[in-house]
Amino acid sequence: MPVNISNSKNRDAIVAMESLTPKRVVRFVAPDGRSVTTRKLLKTDVEHDLPALLKKRKKLEKLANDLVKSDPELDPNTFGMFLTDTSRVYVTEKGIVHLIQEFEVIKNPDGTERERRPRVKEPQNINAEVPLKWTGKFIKKKDAVSKFVFTGKKQLVHVNGLTFDFLFEMAKTLQKKDSLLLLRGGEKGDKPVVMNRGGRAYNAFLEGRVKGDSYCLIMHLSNMELKRPKEMKSVEH
Amino acid sequence: MPKPLVLSLDGHEFSVVITKIDRTKLYGDIEIEAFDEKGNPATLKVLAADGRTLMDKGGTALATLNEDGESVSRADLRPVDEDGEQIEPVLSSFGQVNVLKQSSTDDYLSQVVKSIYVLDPPDGESDLEFLQSHLGAEQIYSFPFSYRGGVEHDSAFVLGDQKNAFMIVGKPAALEFVRLNQAAVLDTPEEAEISADELDFELL
Repeated sequence: MPVNISNSKNRDAIVAMESLTPKRVVRFVAPDGRSVTTRKLLKTDVEHDLPALLKKRKKLEKLANDLVKSDPELDPNTFGMFLTDTSRVYVTEKGIVHLIQEFEVIKNPDGTERERRPRVKEPQNINAEVPLKWTGKFIKKKDAVSKFVFTGKKQLVHVNGLTFDFLFEMAKTLQKKDSLLLLRGGEKGDKPVVMNRGGRAYNAFLEGRVKGDSYCLIMHLSNMELKRPKEMKSVEH
Repeated sequence: MPKPLVLSLDGHEFSVVITKIDRTKLYGDIEIEAFDEKGNPATLKVLAADGRTLMDKGGTALATLNEDGESVSRADLRPVDEDGEQIEPVLSSFGQVNVLKQSSTDDYLSQVVKSIYVLDPPDGESDLEFLQSHLGAEQIYSFPFSYRGGVEHDSAFVLGDQKNAFMIVGKPAALEFVRLNQAAVLDTPEEAEISADELDFELL
């Protein structure tokens, strides 16, 4: 995925951003040692699930009897069908709908409703005309880890020789400072980072590591502080 | 009462109770409601590639298939490492003493986070002053952690300050230091020629 980012001298470049996943050290094999794959299958469609079956039979007892005698929950034409290229759609009682209005219902930690508002889908700002801004705001790594939880990680990688120098210098600067840099998006460079349109907003922090002639530039994403929820009793001593 | 986890730090053993926390517990949550033009509620469902079959939550399953396309029971699968050697299962961390080892900020930052827990003393027991005094000195500790036992451990990092102790569980990320000749390739949209059908000058 491309990302448009600027450095401390306000020079910008489009580089690659790759997802960081855990190292895979364990895999599962069949009893004979051969490899296996996982596929998604259809179990039941909406015309054969519980609400649909109950609608036809009205009473749970009648449905229970039918389940004992036969298999009303199975569609022999589709049961076990491999699922690929699925899509998510909105459905009403009438069927699939394409024109819908979405609302956000904001809930408190205790589950009570706080606010209801029309949903506004923020556009992505990682690969926009305005690059992600090198804010110049640093936080020492040891302070950052005690304040924030980094729930996501991405790695920035160069795409050519020029962007190698561009990113290598960033990583070198950040390693020297032993700090994370706050990245911001938007026209004024004051907005959290949004990866996809309508996606969650994150506070993004850049970390740099250098080893000889190689570098590692990590974008840490945080939408949560490291703190105790209010309703949990504090530990005092 | 939740089962306590026994930790050991500098030879000193103590029990903690772990409570999972997440963003919802701190800030609340946002749910999305959808309605059609007439105000009828709409829900998200999954549409299969045939364009007709709709599925709701619980309507799908995962099957494990061997190279011949035959179904294999999960219970029959064997866990192996990168070299194909059988892996011995690990025990749950709740049934043993877990030794905390000093760790570094960089190791912690290299982790892909799965879960976050608050650590508290079990009811009726003394506080966590010993642990919190170490955490207050900006120390980070780690130990291999498995909630229920299984094929491998996660990494648990213990950090916090003099008032609160947290345990962050995750796995090391597949970080790679990249050299000049290891440039990434950006996906670019395929270029296509403009066809006469795409341009309708009559609309101008």
